[in-house]
Amino acid sequence: MIELQHISVNFGKCEILDDINANISEGHLTAVMGPNGCGKTTLLRCIGALLQPSSGQVLIDGIPVQNYSARALAQKVAFVRQQTQTDFDFSAFETVLMGRNPYQKRLQNESQADWDIVEQCMRKTNTWHLRFSTPHQMSGGELQRVMIARALAQQTPVLLMDEPVSNLDIAHQLEIMRLLRNDGGKTILIVIHDLNLALQFCDDLMLFHSGKLLYHGPINGGLTPNNIRTVYGVASHMADDRIIYDY
Amino acid sequence: MVRRMTGGKYKSGRANPWVVIGLTLLLVAAMAICSLFGAVDFEWEEIKDSPIFWQLRVPRVVMSVLVGAVLSVCGAAYQSIFRNPLTDPYVLGVSSGASLGAAVALLLGWGAIQWGVSSMALVTALLTVLLIYKIASIGNRMHTTTLLLTGVCFTLLISAVISFLMVMNHEKMDDIIFWTMGSFDPSRISWEDVEVMLPVSVVGIGVVLWYSRDLNLLLAGSEAAKSMGVEVEKVKRALLLFTTLMVAFAVSSCGVIGFVGLIVPHAVRLVVGSDNRKVVPYSMLCGSIFVLVCDTLARTVLRPGELPVGSLTSIIGAPMFIYLLYKSKKNY
Repeated sequence: MIELQHISVNFGKCEILDDINANISEGHLTAVMGPNGCGKTTLLRCIGALLQPSSGQVLIDGIPVQNYSARALAQKVAFVRQQTQTDFDFSAFETVLMGRNPYQKRLQNESQADWDIVEQCMRKTNTWHLRFSTPHQMSGGELQRVMIARALAQQTPVLLMDEPVSNLDIAHQLEIMRLLRNDGGKTILIVIHDLNLALQFCDDLMLFHSGKLLYHGPINGGLTPNNIRTVYGVASHMADDRIIYDY
Repeated sequence: MVRRMTGGKYKSGRANPWVVIGLTLLLVAAMAICSLFGAVDFEWEEIKDSPIFWQLRVPRVVMSVLVGAVLSVCGAAYQSIFRNPLTDPYVLGVSSGASLGAAVALLLGWGAIQWGVSSMALVTALLTVLLIYKIASIGNRMHTTTLLLTGVCFTLLISAVISFLMVMNHEKMDDIIFWTMGSFDPSRISWEDVEVMLPVSVVGIGVVLWYSRDLNLLLAGSEAAKSMGVEVEKVKRALLLFTTLMVAFAVSSCGVIGFVGLIVPHAVRLVVGSDNRKVVPYSMLCGSIFVLVCDTLARTVLRPGELPVGSLTSIIGAPMFIYLLYKSKKNY
């Protein structure tokens, strides 16, 4: 469903991504991992057509993403960003309702169906009790969950998530990962830094190392002590299917 | 403000038709009443065949309504496009460009020619925005922060140039200052000006209303808006084009009327929330009423003299706005 063909991205002389080729398996939860600044966010932005790669192209359902209208793409791909901040006060409910935009006609009212979907997505992400709160009244983690609810409200087959759980406490991390795990059939790319959380919940791994795709395949085969040393420069070993770091 | 639930059902974020009808009726009533007062007061019976009323007073009233609507709608749109609560319709250099053109035209002695000053002001206003726009766009994309900064820089530069022009031409100083302060004086506004302004504002405001939900999404950020289905570059371009044209026409015929475009949308937001499907139409009507009332006061308070309406909008608007801010603070 998502094909990456020879994706390279340069910002000036700086090479962020270098000839990435991959076929992302439909319906899988894929962890996108690698050290800070290795191009994970850049890759997601290419897939979401927010950034035109310097060369190569991204195909979704066989069509290059640049050929989609914004509306059509928004019905295929939802994006949860790292940070979102605004000075204007939309309530959490209004924020999540924005996710319904790609299905609404201009000047048309929201339908009861839109409201029901919003409520459902907010209940799933445990944000329903925050529906009247404005961004200033919410904590970083609560706002992050509202953003996840907004992406779910887009009801897309593809979900791109840039560090969606980094701001959350452990209970909510597990809750969100479980939700993604069980939200049947979505193809999800998730940037995540917690190796064990990824190991526990994700199917596949895309491991990046200085702009190159070092490993793409089932996560168990990828998060080896050897790869971890190469990518992060950290020594580790496996015990009880957990990664333990050696200091 | 965000409590939208009544009996378990959500109310739409769209404008409430009753509020729109109510404000429209209020506006019409205010127009009828305000047009009676001025340097000369009229009675209902005598307006029928009074050329002063129909040729001087009515176009002035209509123009103040149009300009109030245009400035408020553009302010609301700019604050969403730039995601910056401090932006007003003049931030892209329209007002300074127009002032420079007007100053040059006045120095050239075009003050007596009909359309002389205003057409020059219109041309320089549009050229200034175009120049700022060119400088700030990289390739075919524009960077809104750069656009704002360039606009601010040009505004400062041009006001320096105008000061220089005034110092070099003492005798025209009053004319230039009077022009820039903004007024709906009959020496400037006639039916012809209204005939130009009316279609420009109807089309321009229509475009902003058409894109009002996209404006909501732009507030969430350009990338977020795009991934939720907004053709960001196209929408921004259309909005900037039409808002700039509207403001340029308004400024070139009436001068710089400050504060309206900044505070009217904010005041509306404080009452109804940030949803632009409400903010844009309500701002349009409230801005009209506000400028209409200010202009009526401007021509009656110091009769037979006139106050510049631009200073009145600030004197009345600022305390009202501070009060609203103070009141809304208590909700937190």
